[in-house]
Amino acid sequence: MARITVSDSNLEVRLTGLDAVWAMRRRLVVPLSAVRGATADPGAAAEPKGVRAPGLHLPGVAAVGTFHRGGAKTLYAVHSGRRTVVVQLEPGADTAGFARVVVEVPDPRMAVDDVNRALSIGR
Amino acid sequence: MARPRSFDEGVVVDAATRCFTELGYAATSVDDLVSATGLHRGSLYGAFGSKRGLFLAALARHTPLLSWGTEDDDGDRALDLLLVAALELAPHDDAVRDIVRDACARLGPRAAGVLGQRLLDRARLDGDPPDGLPATTTPVPPAPTPAATRRT
Repeated sequence: MARITVSDSNLEVRLTGLDAVWAMRRRLVVPLSAVRGATADPGAAAEPKGVRAPGLHLPGVAAVGTFHRGGAKTLYAVHSGRRTVVVQLEPGADTAGFARVVVEVPDPRMAVDDVNRALSIGR
Repeated sequence: MARPRSFDEGVVVDAATRCFTELGYAATSVDDLVSATGLHRGSLYGAFGSKRGLFLAALARHTPLLSWGTEDDDGDRALDLLLVAALELAPHDDAVRDIVRDACARLGPRAAGVLGQRLLDRARLDGDPPDGLPATTTPVPPAPTPAATRRT
């Protein structure tokens, strides 16, 4: 499970428990200016993920870590996939090169509304 | 480095618009959008950022066509999209509310009537009272029911 929090100028993704161990990353903080939007998308957990480095991939069970596919770098932390949220980023130095974050959160609808509300205020 | 787009954005947005107007915003999943547009999930996110981004693109493409007296399929599609926007997003999304407000301003003083009529048409109601009833019916108050006799 992960947590997405939005502050005035940043979006923070925190990985909890063993996810942080497998991903070798406890959190990712990106400026809101590099966030393009958030979507509740359970289907995203079943997509082909590409090459992991570093991370854990047990197809159908869990995908946690950094994955590379088609030139895009994605941070995954999904298990059942039912509560998956996709955050699309403008990849660059301030996103650590990540183009997308695909994580499961306790309340996807609330997380998506928080992110999109912050974007609609900021623009 | 993003690869150049190899799809016609108008075609993609129109396909997404059909999903949104037929299913509603919340009920349209990204899986629905992927199969309707024929794009890969990654390309959809790369081009529009989110489902909301795609919905905003649909509003931007269709609602400027709205004006007073538009009565064709394009007009109906734009009205349907506006109804979905007003019902599902505008209550809590400032950007969508502004778009709905602008579109209503373009429709003029009859905006509420036009939207209401489209809602009834969609429901396959023509908006006229059923045959045999006068246009304004005063509801008949129910006959007073006799006080219930309580059995002991």
